[in-house]
Amino acid sequence: MATTTATITLSSADIADNSFSISNTATLTKAGSTTGLDKTSGLRRRTLASTDSVDLIQLDHFQSTGEVITENKAAKLYIKNLGSSSAEHVKVCIGQEDADADTEEIGRLYGGDWLFIPYAAVWTSADHNGNQDVYVIPSSGDSVTLEWMIIYE
Amino acid sequence: MATTTATITLASTDLLSDSLSLSSTATLYDAGTTTGLTEYETGRIHVPSGDTNLILLDATAAGNDKAAKVYIANKNTDEAHYVIIAMNGTVIGRLYSGDWMFMPWSQTDVSADIEVTCPAALSTTCDIEYAVFHEGITFTNA
Repeated sequence: MATTTATITLSSADIADNSFSISNTATLTKAGSTTGLDKTSGLRRRTLASTDSVDLIQLDHFQSTGEVITENKAAKLYIKNLGSSSAEHVKVCIGQEDADADTEEIGRLYGGDWLFIPYAAVWTSADHNGNQDVYVIPSSGDSVTLEWMIIYE
Repeated sequence: MATTTATITLASTDLLSDSLSLSSTATLYDAGTTTGLTEYETGRIHVPSGDTNLILLDATAAGNDKAAKVYIANKNTDEAHYVIIAMNGTVIGRLYSGDWMFMPWSQTDVSADIEVTCPAALSTTCDIEYAVFHEGITFTNA
């Protein structure tokens, strides 16, 4: 088994009258156990240069290559926008690309922003219908690079 | 303006053949600016088991298409306990005991609530802590 930790520190000296700070460390374990997550996509990088939506994490790709991300377990997803622009962002959406009824934009990563979330990774079909892919939509055609990683079981 | 930062460190000596050590810091700004977010809320709640998609954070018009950030931690200690995190009915994932998450929340419309479900099978509450940094909320009259 592997031991992987994720630590977050949220802090501000001036958002309130008193300093604000949260720090928390999670040890990433398999669902319902104390055994560490032992599979990962590895850290990946992708550069985008248009406002087209891009299927960043296509679950069917993982299925077809044997790297099955077991759905509804304890997978974790990290994405960072490596850009420096505070004006331009990348929308991060979960669901089937180009199927508005089945998707949700969860948030926008501006330059330097990152997210770290649990990932249900529900896979339904090889034609992507109902799959919980993660796709991204840049706000401009300027080049922007994302780094991402899934740690899963 | 305020300066608030969020730093993540991911570390492992044995997930890969080489050590993993990743660290990243984001400064939390208003959408499209370098002005720091100035409003925040924090809390700790006991989510009752059995009810589906209870609203933890209510999306409002003032937050639509903005740059809010959300932190949620599952404070239960039994490794089998998890809380399901969803947005507008779309499941994001399961947050197990001791886990935390941090994500942007653009509130594309007033239905983009962040919802939590403590499974009925747990027969106990899911205790979570949260913080949201945002650009404002729409107040409602009494």
